[in-house]
Formats: sequence, C-alpha cells, structure tokens
Amino acid sequence: MRVINHIKEIRLKKGISQVKMAEDLQITRQTINAIENNKYNPSLELALKLIAYFDVPLEEMFYLEDALKHKEE
Amino acid sequence: MKTRYQMMIYVFIIGMIIIGGLLGVYLIGKEEGEFSFGLAAAVIVGSFGGFMISFLYSKWRKKRNGNIPEVDERSLLLMKRYLLIVLYVVLIGSGALLLVLYAIGVHTIETGMLIVYMMLLYMLIGIGAVVVKRC
Repeated sequence: MRVINHIKEIRLKKGISQVKMAEDLQITRQTINAIENNKYNPSLELALKLIAYFDVPLEEMFYLEDALKHKEE
Repeated sequence: MKTRYQMMIYVFIIGMIIIGGLLGVYLIGKEEGEFSFGLAAAVIVGSFGGFMISFLYSKWRKKRNGNIPEVDERSLLLMKRYLLIVLYVVLIGSGALLLVLYAIGVHTIETGMLIVYMMLLYMLIGIGAVVVKRC
C-alpha cells in the first residue's frame, strides 16, 4: 500500500524553499524531491523531523493511499 | 570535532596513496637497478594536487549550495543497494569470466593481469558509486 504525502503543498503554503528545507533538516535537495514526488518514503526519524519542522499533525502530512479511497467513498 | 576527523581521514588517505606510490617506485627501482626520483616526485605532487582539487571543489560546492549535506539517509540507502548489486555482479561476473577463459584454453593467469583487472573493477565501482550518489 502506497504512502501519500502532502509535503510539497504544506511547504509551498508556508513559503519555504527546497534549499532552505534541505539546510534546516540536513538532507539533500534530491531527497526532498523524491519524497515530494512520492518516490521515496522517509525513515521514521525523518518523518518525525518533518512533522516537527512544519508543525502539522501526522495524518495531515502522511497517509495510506487506501485511506484516501475510503475517504472519497 | 568533525573537521578534525575529516582532516585525519584526508591525511590517512593521502599518506596511504604516497606510501603505495613510493613502494611502487621502490619495487620498479629494485627491478631495474635505478630509482626514478621523477616518478617519486610525480607520486607526491599528484597526491597533493588531487587532494587540492577535491578540497577546492568541496569549498566551491559549499559556497554555492550553502550548508546542504552531501550524504543523507536516502543516498546511504541507494549506496547500500548499489553495493549489494555490485557484489553479485562482481562475484558472478568474475566466475563467469574465469569459466569462459578456461573454456577457451587459458589455464594460467599472470598476476599483472589480475592487478589490471582489479584496478578496472575499482575504477568502475568508484564511477558507479559517484553516479548513484548523485541520483
């Protein structure tokens, strides 16, 4: 089951650039790109860092694709 | 602390390259009866030159990209996967190569050829690792 994330939308809403985010979280820009395009699932540690960084609830940032389908139904 | 470790690693690597190069110069000198100081100088200057190039490149990169790290959890994961694939390719590939050589009638291998083969392997694995790191 795929994990979907809303990092790009949240990041753009807060007006943070990928470079700034990479500097603050000490990760590469390529990793941010991969996470935003749902090509890479961050480790639990990085996921928790992302939640703390953007200060949003977990379910707003990450959820399973199946949960989205159920929600739409 | 991190810079101190980095410096120690750099000094160790350069030291090993120079020692290896000088050992090569010594072995060649012993074989031919004359030690080539030009070659020894090339080993030392080349090692320091190579170090300076990588050092300046990392400085330029830091200036351009700010405080973004070169390696993170994803690049380590990619590297792990790459090295796992490389392990099997090298093991199975080398085995297959040996079988093919035996089948075509090559029953002895010169150690010099093995050194060249290992060098090629190291170079290819190194180039692959750089490409994987940039993905």
